[in-house]
Amino acid sequence: MTVGGAPSAPISEGTGAQPVAAGAAGAAGATGATGGKGVAGSPSSRHRWRYLPHQANASGIVGLAGGVVALLWTGSDGYRQSLLILGCMYSLVAIGMYVPFVLTGTLSMAYSAYAAIGGYTIAILFEKAGWPLWVGWFVAPFIAAVVAVVLGVVTRRVSGFYLVAVTLLFAEAFSTFVQSNTTLAGGARGFPGLPTLTFFGWSPTVVQFGIAAVALVCVVAYLVDRLRQSPWGILVRTMREVPHAVEASGVRVSWMRVVALAVGAMIGSLAGSLFVSSVHAVNPLTFTLNLVFIAVFMPVVGGVGTAWGCVVGAAVITELTLNFSAVGQGGLLIVSIGVLVILLVAPRGIVGYIDVARKWVTRTVQQLATKRTTRHD
Amino acid sequence: MGNPQLWISVFIDGAFYGMIALAYYVTLIGSQFFNFAIGPYAMATGLGAAWLVVDKGWSLWSAVLVVLVGIVVLGAITELAVVRPVQQRATGGELPALVAVAALLFAIQQLAGEIFGFTPLPGQLIFPTSTFTLSSATVQASVVPLLVVAAAAFLLVGGWIRLTATGRTLRAVGDSNSAARLLGFPVNRIRLIAFMIGALIAGLAGLFFAPSSGNGVNFMSGLNWALEGFLALVIGGTGAVWAPLVGGFVLAAAGIFVPYYFGGNSVSYVLLGLAVVFFAFRPEGVFARRVRT
Repeated sequence: MTVGGAPSAPISEGTGAQPVAAGAAGAAGATGATGGKGVAGSPSSRHRWRYLPHQANASGIVGLAGGVVALLWTGSDGYRQSLLILGCMYSLVAIGMYVPFVLTGTLSMAYSAYAAIGGYTIAILFEKAGWPLWVGWFVAPFIAAVVAVVLGVVTRRVSGFYLVAVTLLFAEAFSTFVQSNTTLAGGARGFPGLPTLTFFGWSPTVVQFGIAAVALVCVVAYLVDRLRQSPWGILVRTMREVPHAVEASGVRVSWMRVVALAVGAMIGSLAGSLFVSSVHAVNPLTFTLNLVFIAVFMPVVGGVGTAWGCVVGAAVITELTLNFSAVGQGGLLIVSIGVLVILLVAPRGIVGYIDVARKWVTRTVQQLATKRTTRHD
Repeated sequence: MGNPQLWISVFIDGAFYGMIALAYYVTLIGSQFFNFAIGPYAMATGLGAAWLVVDKGWSLWSAVLVVLVGIVVLGAITELAVVRPVQQRATGGELPALVAVAALLFAIQQLAGEIFGFTPLPGQLIFPTSTFTLSSATVQASVVPLLVVAAAAFLLVGGWIRLTATGRTLRAVGDSNSAARLLGFPVNRIRLIAFMIGALIAGLAGLFFAPSSGNGVNFMSGLNWALEGFLALVIGGTGAVWAPLVGGFVLAAAGIFVPYYFGGNSVSYVLLGLAVVFFAFRPEGVFARRVRT
């Protein structure tokens, strides 16, 4: 029995969505019957990879350009540097949530815990074992994935509101754990005064760290966008729409959801590692439930049709809440009301409407060219 | 377990969680929707009344009237302007409405902070009794009114659902929304009534619990109250009107006795443990509706 009734219908992906239902049988069969190595009657993997990710490549180029613009805007200004890192951290948390939320229709709210795992792992490995910070970057995603799998298995029978509630309670319990555990997690004080990230004696400057953070976000967003359009992505999106059909074709839907939750948690932990490496400290208040609520709004603001929507949403929300002096402390209020308005009147989000405008311009130019050609003939 | 003062605390928290769960229950029966904004409704009335009386110098009764009317209007706005349009656009899927109600929860909390201030305010005593001693336990002035209001809320909602035409229609809509629509019941009107009554119950809960809330009411209280009420409903189940009250008392007993014996931090683990146990083994709650087949 699944608590919460039928699996949740998704937030509409709007623009950029592949014809999910059409590819259902092929994608489901591909993973279920042959372990993801292709299936008779469907295009070969090579063929699919050649044609499907065009949009991911185009989005990646535009996203990279956006990252360069953000870096130029930041320059060497210290405040803007911190905004940039915060925006990158938000982006990673939002992309982490995007994988289970938008792709599989599973909304987990435990991302403050996953980000904390990222931050605490690098701090604990440094403080307790004397390992350099960068080692924690590689260990944390696996710890977060294990935690997500355990939580996912325990809650595999629940969805929707029930999953939201239990994952929120988990996030609170995790926060209590790090606050009360002075031996391992440093208690309420946490770990102040962590050193600068160093690779074999070389330490990046603040500007270089910002460039690396933007590059990390671009790579993760690009990979998740590719993942969305890969056979696995089509499978899980199909599963979200018609879970019984996918289950009937031999795919364990509940396990696929657990996999998506684990992938999301890994990305969420990177956000924590990034932020803690930047501010050189972590404590129980570094990653609160507010982070989760803000992050869940980012794909809605930016647009759920592509993982880049999370990045755009993160940029808008960071600007509104921290850098837009006209609204003072009311930035969060504006964000939450803005999310309601977007859900009601503009569900495609910013990236979705940019794509609509791009298509309209392309169509108009093509029509004008056709008219001119006809006139010449 | 033999300390009477702890049992008084169980009754206070149990009555409050039970009322929040009852607000969920009424909304759920009428609309098949968990309105997570119910926690912030309770926060808004408790904090709003305190702000009007303490900061603005209003009389208690005018403040109570204003916040209760305001919260019922907010309940109606939640259904008419947020949940219904988003659900219609998403053709019945629950995730968009869930995100919308999360945004609403966040918006109410931030708006309360902007208007009423970001510092906690003491709850206002309504119908206070004199403080008295009961079996070596001190019963504060705010306890009896809270218990009386909780009992009255459950009795009235139970009577309304069983004895009135609107209440029976609410149950019909809850049993099968589409069948009720086919039979010509005013489903949309019933949903609206469910949201408004749910908001009123949550508002009363916040108003009467605020004086018992240890550090006063602050704008962030709503999320925790929403989660605790939700958990009380999950524990109690939806099989009977009084099931949320049982869930509320079970949750309150766990929340009071476990920290007393195992330390203050254990309460988060107990809440998570209760949620996982009930979701995994008894997702329909203690009291499930039995249907003859």
